Amino acid sequence: MQVVILERNKLVARRAARHFASIGATCTLVEDPAALGPALPGATLLCSDAFDGDLVVELLRNRPGLRGLLWTAEPIKRSLRHMQDCPAISHVLARKDFESPPRPWELLMAARRILLGDGAPPFTAYLDWGAQIISLAVSTTADRDRAVANVQEFIARLQAPKRVGEMFGELAHELLMNAMYDAPVDATGHPMYAADRKAEITLSAAQQPTVLLGTDGTKLALQVRDPFGRLQRNHVVGGLLRGLSGGEMDQSHGGAGLGMMVCHNSAAAMFFDVMRGRATEVTAVFELDLNLREFRTSAKSLHFFAS
Amino acid sequence: MQPETSAPTAGGQPGVPAGAADAKLTVDKFADGDIACLRFAGAIDESFEGKKLAGSVKAATLILDLGGVKKISSFGIREWVDFVTAVGKQVQKIVLIECTPKVVDQLNMVANFAGGGRVFSFYAPFRCDYCDSEHRVLLQVDRDHEAIKSMKLPERSCPSCKESMYFDEDGATFFSYLLGQEKFELEPEIVHFLSTKLNYAVSDVARKLRVDKLIEGRATFVRLGGDLDQSFPKDKLAEGLEGTVIFDVGGVGRIEPAGAAQWRGFVQMVSPLVSELFIIGATPPFVEKLCNKDDLGAKAQVLSINLPFQCKTCATSGSQLVDVAEHYDMLKLATAPDLKCVHCKNALTCAASEALMTTLPGLPMPTATAEQRKLIKDLRERKPEKKKVATTVADAAQSQKSSWWLPFAAAFVAVGLAGGAFLGYRAVTAKGATAAGLGKKLSASATARPAWITADVPGGAYCKDMPDQSLACVGVSSTAVAQDDALDEANDAALESIANSVAGKVDDKKWRAALPPIWQSTRQAKLAAFDREPNNTQARRDVRDARRAVARLLSKTSAGAVPAAPSGKYWEEYESGDGKRYLAFVEYTVRGADVARMAKSYAENSTALGAAVVDVFPSLGWRYPNISGGAVVMAVADGRLKSRGITEGYIMLEVRGRAVPNAATFAKIASEEMTQLELVGGTLELKVQSGDTEPRSFQDTIAKKGGDAVPTPNTGGRNTGGNNGGTTGTPNTGNVNVWDRVGGGKGPSRDDPNQ
Repeated sequence: MQVVILERNKLVARRAARHFASIGATCTLVEDPAALGPALPGATLLCSDAFDGDLVVELLRNRPGLRGLLWTAEPIKRSLRHMQDCPAISHVLARKDFESPPRPWELLMAARRILLGDGAPPFTAYLDWGAQIISLAVSTTADRDRAVANVQEFIARLQAPKRVGEMFGELAHELLMNAMYDAPVDATGHPMYAADRKAEITLSAAQQPTVLLGTDGTKLALQVRDPFGRLQRNHVVGGLLRGLSGGEMDQSHGGAGLGMMVCHNSAAAMFFDVMRGRATEVTAVFELDLNLREFRTSAKSLHFFAS
Repeated sequence: MQPETSAPTAGGQPGVPAGAADAKLTVDKFADGDIACLRFAGAIDESFEGKKLAGSVKAATLILDLGGVKKISSFGIREWVDFVTAVGKQVQKIVLIECTPKVVDQLNMVANFAGGGRVFSFYAPFRCDYCDSEHRVLLQVDRDHEAIKSMKLPERSCPSCKESMYFDEDGATFFSYLLGQEKFELEPEIVHFLSTKLNYAVSDVARKLRVDKLIEGRATFVRLGGDLDQSFPKDKLAEGLEGTVIFDVGGVGRIEPAGAAQWRGFVQMVSPLVSELFIIGATPPFVEKLCNKDDLGAKAQVLSINLPFQCKTCATSGSQLVDVAEHYDMLKLATAPDLKCVHCKNALTCAASEALMTTLPGLPMPTATAEQRKLIKDLRERKPEKKKVATTVADAAQSQKSSWWLPFAAAFVAVGLAGGAFLGYRAVTAKGATAAGLGKKLSASATARPAWITADVPGGAYCKDMPDQSLACVGVSSTAVAQDDALDEANDAALESIANSVAGKVDDKKWRAALPPIWQSTRQAKLAAFDREPNNTQARRDVRDARRAVARLLSKTSAGAVPAAPSGKYWEEYESGDGKRYLAFVEYTVRGADVARMAKSYAENSTALGAAVVDVFPSLGWRYPNISGGAVVMAVADGRLKSRGITEGYIMLEVRGRAVPNAATFAKIASEEMTQLELVGGTLELKVQSGDTEPRSFQDTIAKKGGDAVPTPNTGGRNTGGNNGGTTGTPNTGNVNVWDRVGGGKGPSRDDPNQ
């Protein structure tokens, strides 16, 4: 496992390298893009700031075995373009500024999963030990509305600003709408409920999504899992890009096609785990110590894992 | 509207369930004449039926009050956009008022969320960390234009604890939609509707009392508008009054105690002087406060009153003008008259307060004659002539807009257009200039500007032939709010300038005569508009989008000649009066051999169906931003294409549904399809881009070779060259005039709308 890190800030590069080294990877640190060439043979992962994303895309294009990981302190739009251009880039890690590395827990999680092939972690991995976690059962449209209200109540009890509760309520509603109406398909693969989102539905035990909500007092995490595993990478990347590029609607899937933007606007980090044909897990993480103004201007992370 | 601060909502307090706040959507309708208002409250989600609601709107002006919208789901967005799109076709004007932060988020995120409407007022979220409360402050695009432009809102005193509370959003994000909207003021009719019918406080100016006076013979007609306060000029108005005096008080909003006292004094003062004092259009507050027997005195009579009614079928509220004489028998019993809804014809229900109804029996029976009523009707419909006879208490002059700038603007436009041809390289002429006027430089991506930056006029681009024959092109962004937007813009500007340079290096004279004229005038016009008004959002967007289209085409058609990554990138961050701004520079270096290869390959001809075609050139993106490939017709010989009206400069996009990425593929596809059609017969369909219209379809029926020929007539009997793209000979039509069927043999056909 050889990781090449292109980073102009030595301290950031060394800190990032430490996380990769902690799982047994060997790291080569490069400051100058011109010096990348000799470092790449044998490498399995190339990391850099999205500022150098063009170069990373170009290098990955000619090296099928090499994967890319970007970090950024900027809005995610530019990184999304790189993700769209290059299927080998499926991870963008937010950082506070150009002098800071990405969040340690997130970098370590991404490193393990990319380099060691670990599967989706348990929900507790997103939070510190001792976190309070609740599980919500959803099988009917009325359950969905109750779950959304429960999410808001849970956050209100944290004495978090009301707008955070509203934001996560919206996020829960959006994720549940996708899990309940978009995801279910019949034996022939045809969507069962996507045609009419206004319909009251009741899902069988095998179709039901599960909702997990938890907090450790610093982070707030929400996960919605459906048992179908049909989410496509281009739906995530394309939906976000469309939303960030002016919000043209895509009405081909029943909604406005802007659900991904709700996710992006509500979470500091989004994790999409698709176990093809088995399950889709979408996890959103919010940092409670940020006020909403800081949150709006901070960079956002995006991860897409497929197995 | 006044800057209003709402109280913190219950759901925001610790321990109070927040979910309860998300009520289902309710929509209240108010209508008065041609103006209607829909007041939304609750969550706009999948249950909202946008098209159905749009169908129920009957008005010329629609006001959407979004102050109660708490949540909008993505399925709700779809319904909402359906609603504004449908309703936009029915009404002439849509105004959005009191948009909550949730609605502002959607305006920022979703294209066409406002439909054709304009946002007049919106709430900005504020937070107080001292008492942990959230508040919202109402802003208006006219009154608060400067604050919106600066993307900053100053701290305010918290209504709960009086400590300082701050604007709890990122200004650049929150105001992004509003910054692109032109400043505007509400029309007086809308202000009147909002302030008098719905009791909105629209603006300070609108609330000031206005008095318009018309004199017709011995009758004096006075129209009051705004709040009745102590500014009511009773002495001035009473001067010289005589004969019949009519007061239209339908525009009166709030009635303050001092204003009521002034009015009463006025009525007492003029009663001995006038023969009659008629009051028309009395609003409920006016009737309640100023129409009892003592207030009216001996001469004043109320001829008509505005009573609030509801139509339960249409779910609409509105006021109805009730003629007191006509319904006197009902009114004296404190009962509202029976009225029908003008839309559904069902019975209306009166929604007047108990206090108002108990005042009605005290009104005197009006004595106005038919002649007087006719005169009142005429005067009421007449617009006030402010300059001649109006007496305004308020600052009426403010409503007259100055037009001093028009001649200067016209002159400036003329100068700008004259210089338009040079604008593509405006940065070169400003060589050595610094980014003056951008404000204080805060940071940059490198300690010093790279040497490859030789000019920095925002929005500029320039190329340089290097000693090693390579071409170095630099793009400069306009000043952008986000760093990545600035870099993207500079990137596209650099790539566009490469395309422009390559176009200048093509030697083929035919190509030079045929291709550049297609895009040059569009390019010059867009750059000229941008140069004239660099801060104009539309002009900047036009140039940015066109450059993006050119850059995309260049990447697609240059066959790797243009590097995938730039040779240099650099940005600077400035603190301007409007907040942080970024200026970015991107440089691309193209090897000399690759430049020469591009200049040669773009002019290489392929031939098919009697036409010589070349690859689509990237600069065509200026005129056709949506094309992603194609083959441009350079020359067309007499034959099948020419007879269909296809001529030089047309861009072939598809052949029988198969996309045409370039000239060579066009030749290949066209040949394959013709071979197939000659075997089985059928229609040759071509999708073609030309002029400034959408791509069009050209069809030609191809006969099965050796089978029953479907004639493709030519030019009135003249042989058009014999070989129609390799098909069997076209039969001569003798003396039959077939011009109108297929067009002439020379030039395009008559059914080509571009000709």
